[in-house]
Amino acid sequence: MGLLFLIKLEGKVYSCKHCQTHFALSEDIASKNFHCRHGKAYLFHRVVNVTVGEKEERMMITGMHTVVDIFCVGCGSIVGWKYESAREMNQKYKEGKFILERFKVLGPDGSHYMGIQEALVSGSDVEDA
Amino acid sequence: MAGPLASQREGEMIGSKGIIQKVEFVRIIAEALYSLGFEKTGAQLEEESGIPLHSSNVNLFMQQILDGNWDESVITLRKIGLLDETIVKLASFAILEQKFLELLDREKIKDALKTLRTEIAPLCINKERVHELSMCILFPSQHLLLEFPHQDVGRTKSRPKLLEEIQKLLPPMVMIPERRLEHLVEQALNLQVGSCVFHNSLDREMSLLTDHWCGREQVPSQTLQVLQEHYDEVWFLQFSHNGKYLASSSSDRSTIIWEVSWNGRVSLKHRLHGHQKPVSYVSWSPHDDQLLTCGVEEVVRRWDVSSGHCLCIYVKGGLGLVSCAWSPDGKWVFTGIADESICMWDLDGKQLQCWKGQRTVRNSDLEVTSDGKHIVTKCKEAAVLLLDREEKTEKLIEEIQTINSFSLSRDNKFLLVNLLNQEIHLWNIEGDPKLIAKYKGHKCSRFFIRSCFGGLQQSFIASGSEDSQVYIWHKDSGELVKALPGHAGAVNCVSWNPANPHMLASASDDRTIRIWGLKNQLDSKQEKAQSNGIHYCNGGT
Repeated sequence: MGLLFLIKLEGKVYSCKHCQTHFALSEDIASKNFHCRHGKAYLFHRVVNVTVGEKEERMMITGMHTVVDIFCVGCGSIVGWKYESAREMNQKYKEGKFILERFKVLGPDGSHYMGIQEALVSGSDVEDA
Repeated sequence: MAGPLASQREGEMIGSKGIIQKVEFVRIIAEALYSLGFEKTGAQLEEESGIPLHSSNVNLFMQQILDGNWDESVITLRKIGLLDETIVKLASFAILEQKFLELLDREKIKDALKTLRTEIAPLCINKERVHELSMCILFPSQHLLLEFPHQDVGRTKSRPKLLEEIQKLLPPMVMIPERRLEHLVEQALNLQVGSCVFHNSLDREMSLLTDHWCGREQVPSQTLQVLQEHYDEVWFLQFSHNGKYLASSSSDRSTIIWEVSWNGRVSLKHRLHGHQKPVSYVSWSPHDDQLLTCGVEEVVRRWDVSSGHCLCIYVKGGLGLVSCAWSPDGKWVFTGIADESICMWDLDGKQLQCWKGQRTVRNSDLEVTSDGKHIVTKCKEAAVLLLDREEKTEKLIEEIQTINSFSLSRDNKFLLVNLLNQEIHLWNIEGDPKLIAKYKGHKCSRFFIRSCFGGLQQSFIASGSEDSQVYIWHKDSGELVKALPGHAGAVNCVSWNPANPHMLASASDDRTIRIWGLKNQLDSKQEKAQSNGIHYCNGGT
C-alpha cells in the first residue's frame, strides 16, 4: 500500500493495538459510558488516521442512528464507528463524534483492555444525555 | 458637420443579432482595404456603397498633415464638426509642435521661435512641454539627445506618426482608428482560445474559417507505455525541467532515472541504489544535471544524472530527513528534518543554516520558489507556510481540513493543496492568499496522494487517487475532464511533462509507471517492438 499519510498526535494518545497508529487524545473524550460487543467504548470528539465505510442505519440501545464503521488506515482493522445522524432529538449530541472500542485500542499508557466480562451488556451504545 | 454620412442609412443594422451598424461596418472594411494597400478597391467601395470612409474635411486634413501644410491643417481642423474645444486645442498643439520641430531641423530658428511664441504658447495648455520646447532652441544639439524625461521630447516624429497620434485624440467616428478591423478579428481569435476549454494544442496557426476548438482528445488519455522496472510500489515521480528525463522512486528503496527520447519513448537510464529506506521524494536540480532523493526519515542523497553516481549524502546525526529541495541557483540544498526544523546545506554536505521551532511537520513536502525568496512547507496539520528566507515576512495558507500534500506552480503564483478525505484546493498566493478553485472526484484517505499542474499554459490539474485512476481537471472551470483507469493499485503520484503538454506519467502501488498520451499517438509499430505480451487495462497490447 502507498506511503501512509499518518497524523501524529501529542499527549495522551489512544492508538491501534495492532500497528500503534495514533487515533485520538484523552482530552478529546466526550464520554466513557458507551458499550459495544467487545465491552467498553469511548465517545470522542475527534479521531484521526481512520477511513470510513458505508453508511448504515443501525438500531442502538438509544434508538435508530445512521453510522459508518471506521477502520485503521495502517492495518485496516475495524476500530469503532462514527455517528452521522441520530433519529431522536436527545441523541443528536453524538452527531459527528466517534466511538472507539476500548478492546481495539491501546490506552495512553500502552495498556490493553481485557474487559470481556463487561461484554455481557447486550447491544451497543448508551450514555444518555 | 458629419459630412455625407448618408442619414437615411444611419440606424441600419446588419448581422444575425442586429447589433452591427452597417455604416461603421463598411467604413472599417474600407479602412482595412486602404491599410492593406488596396487604394483602388477602397475607393471603389466608398463609391459603390455611398458611404465615405472619412468626410471630405477629414480627408483634406489628413492630406495637409502628410504634406506639412501646418497652418492650413489647423484651420481645417476647426472645420471638422463633432469636436469640442479641448480636443481642438490638443490636436492643434500636436500639429504646431511638429511644425516647430521640423523648423528646428531645418535650422530655421527664428521661425521656430515665432511659432512657439505666437502659435503654441497662446493655446495655454501643456506649459511644461512649452518649456521643454524652448530648451530645444537654447540648446539645439540637445534636441537629439534623450536626456529629457520624455523619451522623444526632442525627436521629430514622422508625419504619419503624427497623424496616428492625432487620430487617437479625435473621436473614432471622425477618423476611423487605423487597422480597426484587424484589431476586432484578433480580439475574436483571442476570445476563442480563451474559451477553448481543453486548449492544449501546439498549433500556432489559427484559422479564421472555423472557430478554434480543442476537443478532449488534446488531453492525454491513452496508456502509451507501462514501465515495470521497480520491484515494489512506486511512490513518487517527476519529470526534469527540460522534459528529457523522468525520475521515479519506490518503496523498493531505489530510484530510477528514465530517459525520454525525441519520439516520446521512455527508457531506463540508471538505477540508483543506496538508500536503506523507501524513497519518498525526488527533486531535480535547476539545470537537471543532479537529483536529490529522500529516504523516509532517513538521509538525502545527491546524485549525478549522467553517471548515476551518488555525489553526497546529507545526514543529520540521529535525526531523520523528511524532505528536500534545491535553491534556484543550484548551490544549496534545503531539507526538512524530523524534529520539525528546516536546514540549508552546501553541496558538500555541510550544514549552513537552520530554521527551528516548528517550521515544518514530519509529513510535509518542501519546495522553494524559483526566485529563491520563499520556502514553502506545511507548518501545521492544516496550514502551509510561505517562509521568506530573510525572515521578514511569513504568509500562511490556512485550510480547515488536514493537508495531505501540496504542489507549487512553475510561475510561483499558485499553490495546489491536496486535502485528506476532501477535494484539492487551488490557492492564488500572490499578495494575500485566496482560494480560487476546488477539484473533486478522486479519493485520498490513507496515502500521500500527489497532484500537479500541466498542459499548455498549465491549464490542467492532474492527480493520483486511491481508486487506481488518474484524474485530470480543467484548472479554471474545475470541470473533471478525464478519469483514467488502467493501474491495478492506488496511483500515488502524477507528473506532467513540462516540455510536452501531451505527456503525463503516473506512479502506482501496482509497481508500474504509466506514460499517458494522446489517442492517435499509439503507434502500432512501436508497440509490437516493446510488447511482451502483457495486456494493458485500457487498450493496447
